[in-house]
Amino acid sequence: MKMQLAMVIDSSSCIDCKGCMAACKVENNVASGHWRNWIKLQDPDFYNQGLQGDASAMHFQPGNCMHCDNPTCVQACPTSATYKDDNDGTIKVNKKLCIGCGSCIPACPYGARYRHPEEKVVDKCDFCERRRARGELPACVTTCPTKARTFGDLKDPNSEVARLLKSNKTVKVFNRQTDTQPNIYYMSMTAPIDWPVKAETPAAIQLWKVINPFVYGFVGLNVLGVLAMLGKQLLIKDDPPEAEHK
Amino acid sequence: MSAKLDTAISRRSFLKWTGAATAATAVGARTPVLHALVPSEENTASGKVEQHFSVCDMCLNKCGLIARVEKGVVTKLDPNPKFLKSRGMLCARGNAGIAQLYDPDRLKYPLLRKGKRGEGKWQRLSWDQALDYAAEQMKKIGDKYSRCGMLFSPGSDMQSTFVHWFAEVFGSYNVTTHESACLLSRNRAYLDTFGEVPFSDVLHSKYIIMAGANRFEALITPDSIDLMSTKKNGCKLVVLDPRYTKTAALADEWYPIRPGTDMAFFLALTHVIISEKIYDQTYAAEKLYGLEQLSEHVKQYSPEWAENECEIPAKDIRRIARELAAAAPIAMVYPGRRTSDYVNSTQIRRSMAILNGLLGNWDRPGGLLAARQVGLSKVELPEAPWYEDNPDDRLDMGRAHMMFEEEGSFKHMRDAIIEEKPYPIKGWFVYKHNPLQSEANRQRTLEMMEKLDFVLTVDIAMSDTAWMSDLVLPAPSYLERQDPASGLQGSSACACVVTRDPVVAPLFESKPVVEILQGLANRLELAEYFDFSIEGYRKQQLRKLPDAERALKKDGVYYNPSKLYGVYEGKVYKTKSKLIELYNERYAQMGVPPLPVYRSPRQVPSGRFRMVVGRNAYFTHCTTQNNALLHELMPENSLWIHPKPASALGLKEGDLVEVGSAAGTGELKISLKNGIRQDTVYMASGFGVLSKDLTNIYGKGACIAEILEDYSDELSGNMAMHETFVRVTRKVA
Repeated sequence: MKMQLAMVIDSSSCIDCKGCMAACKVENNVASGHWRNWIKLQDPDFYNQGLQGDASAMHFQPGNCMHCDNPTCVQACPTSATYKDDNDGTIKVNKKLCIGCGSCIPACPYGARYRHPEEKVVDKCDFCERRRARGELPACVTTCPTKARTFGDLKDPNSEVARLLKSNKTVKVFNRQTDTQPNIYYMSMTAPIDWPVKAETPAAIQLWKVINPFVYGFVGLNVLGVLAMLGKQLLIKDDPPEAEHK
Repeated sequence: MSAKLDTAISRRSFLKWTGAATAATAVGARTPVLHALVPSEENTASGKVEQHFSVCDMCLNKCGLIARVEKGVVTKLDPNPKFLKSRGMLCARGNAGIAQLYDPDRLKYPLLRKGKRGEGKWQRLSWDQALDYAAEQMKKIGDKYSRCGMLFSPGSDMQSTFVHWFAEVFGSYNVTTHESACLLSRNRAYLDTFGEVPFSDVLHSKYIIMAGANRFEALITPDSIDLMSTKKNGCKLVVLDPRYTKTAALADEWYPIRPGTDMAFFLALTHVIISEKIYDQTYAAEKLYGLEQLSEHVKQYSPEWAENECEIPAKDIRRIARELAAAAPIAMVYPGRRTSDYVNSTQIRRSMAILNGLLGNWDRPGGLLAARQVGLSKVELPEAPWYEDNPDDRLDMGRAHMMFEEEGSFKHMRDAIIEEKPYPIKGWFVYKHNPLQSEANRQRTLEMMEKLDFVLTVDIAMSDTAWMSDLVLPAPSYLERQDPASGLQGSSACACVVTRDPVVAPLFESKPVVEILQGLANRLELAEYFDFSIEGYRKQQLRKLPDAERALKKDGVYYNPSKLYGVYEGKVYKTKSKLIELYNERYAQMGVPPLPVYRSPRQVPSGRFRMVVGRNAYFTHCTTQNNALLHELMPENSLWIHPKPASALGLKEGDLVEVGSAAGTGELKISLKNGIRQDTVYMASGFGVLSKDLTNIYGKGACIAEILEDYSDELSGNMAMHETFVRVTRKVA
């Protein structure tokens, strides 16, 4: 890879204003009821700490697709629609190849993927590819009031992210059973950290991945497999939206 | 004229500008200056892309932005990185401006009420018909009841100034603004201490006490952003709030103070600081008036006494007093914005202002700041006509001791209209203002409207007030409008000028209020007073700022490098004593306590709760709840209640309850919150709407204006919104 685009997030700067979520939603036409990014929150333990005193137990943690080095979503995709880009290191969805089977959704420990209810394909953060093509930063980075998010190329030693990584203690948030080697770093400490789930790859896909190398290039079988997944997709209902909306 | 960006630099690859952008990081605004490198137009696969400067109007901060327009459609609003006041940011509301522009619930053409008020039956009118009708009604009321028979509520956007001007030339002094639901008591207190209303140099402060202000949610630029920057630089933040707000959550110390007792805390701090003589005595001798009286007055207010009142331990009060004094004058008791809380809210803020005065947290880095010069000129307009038969004063005059003549008090105005004393008001012109949601005691506002023969509302969507009006006229959003210039002070960040030009053409039949007023003026023989274009008006405003027009075109903002600190060096204060008035002689003359005298707030009766009001970062007052994007962030409001009293009432998370007071009731779900006092409940504003044309939120949540009783501040007439006690009862669905 020539680049590895990444984010270093200072979650202690986050005031949970949701500016990043709104900016992302507008920039990327994210479907109602769905989000490409989020702010997780750690609630303080008032029962043990009481109402008074140190209130620093509350913490807001912005995040989005972690553009992992060991992407379980890529492994779960039957059509190679989801892939890690050789050039910039981001995880992409080729919407022309995506059959909307949804196998990648539980395969992401971070819940970063959703099926677009109208487009019927999977959608996720692409670090604002269209903005980058215009020479702009991702929308969430640009809009953030406290500039909690820093974005850039990890492989460029002069980049702000590389500089931050070099001069600060950083942590990553991942599930112990599925370390996907994420490319989102958090400065010094962050919370919550217990939320990523174990990646789940549907059994059919696991089997397919075993068979796949043997039949690679065997077009007929491949098409059969795609058709099988398509059939499966038609049986799956759309995810219910997370929030009520018009 | 278009404010299109005129920088023409060819497209650069992402990598090329990463380095340049890092180098170009401006002091203060930590956003890399990227947009300046972006060409104004480019031919991409998606077609022509244009970028225009504008200024946000989703709240009152006026943050600079760059609108991206593709094929005539606004596709994204981004922060203007050169806009120092907002530190180059755009919040969720700013981003949701597009959802206001393209809101399917927008008003599309003039509507005349058919059937009863609030029935929602309307007849579409042409603009000529609508303006003819409005002018006729206003003339009729003016002829019968004098010109003061019309009340004007001008809202608070960049065209509101024209509504004020129209009221003046039409001949009515009866104008009420948003301010009497907001910050008048703070303004009163600081005017009567320092002679002016201060700004806060949050960025450079070392110690900030924030009582009742929620700056990380109720976003004020640059204060909200600077608060995080200064915290990172080691500033200590102490928050007093009965509710665990996000500001409390991110504070160094949070005290869930007993509501209404802030004055006890600040008088006790003053007591400690004076008795331990830990203030600058040279400064005091030079600048302060009434220190002797203050010293005598606060003897009674020991930290031990205060602990009993505000439930903050005396040892903490003593420690905080010493820490604050040690940090002064690079410290502040933050003045806050919405201070419409108690019947003595001016005196509560006086106790804070006095402490700032005592410590000299004024006109120096890290303290409170005097207003800076922006340099806009007043526009020369013909002298307003005189109406012989007008009464002597505005209708609400004299109902509170020290009301502001320009703003008045909505609460007192409403009472006076209902009582028809001392004279009747029969008409109401409302521009982007929504008292049915924003002013306590909605039933009382409806009662006031019963007294009115003609109510005209100009707004972007069908607010509750529009819904109950007789004539509703559609206004464009800020992205479709040309506005005059506006001067802003961004604390230590800047003193600047902003303006707006249309990013896209007005949608539907909407007309900016200035054109509506011109149409009315033409029909009321007042045309000469509105004989100007916005372009000409703006030219006059900018006539003494030769660089402004070019800067506005190039950067979307003009900065006046005016003096920031030491504005008062060699100058006297605009107070009676010409000093910082700890003791206020004018108050004494009027029979008002010249030093704040503590009164314990009314006890919450058993089985009831005190309702408190507060903001989040998604909603501006009661105006953005129906915005499709922001609606997703909070689709309805809920009642915050502590789990202990909730369980005593047999309530669990999400249960439906009825919340009731002497003013009214509402039904909403509960949210169990450990971070709220057991004697206090809270709900967000702007839900429980009357208007069926706010389709996202109609039928959702409860209306706080319905439940709050209409107490008001004795001095300023500001609404007092934390004085209401409510019952909470389980509602079986």
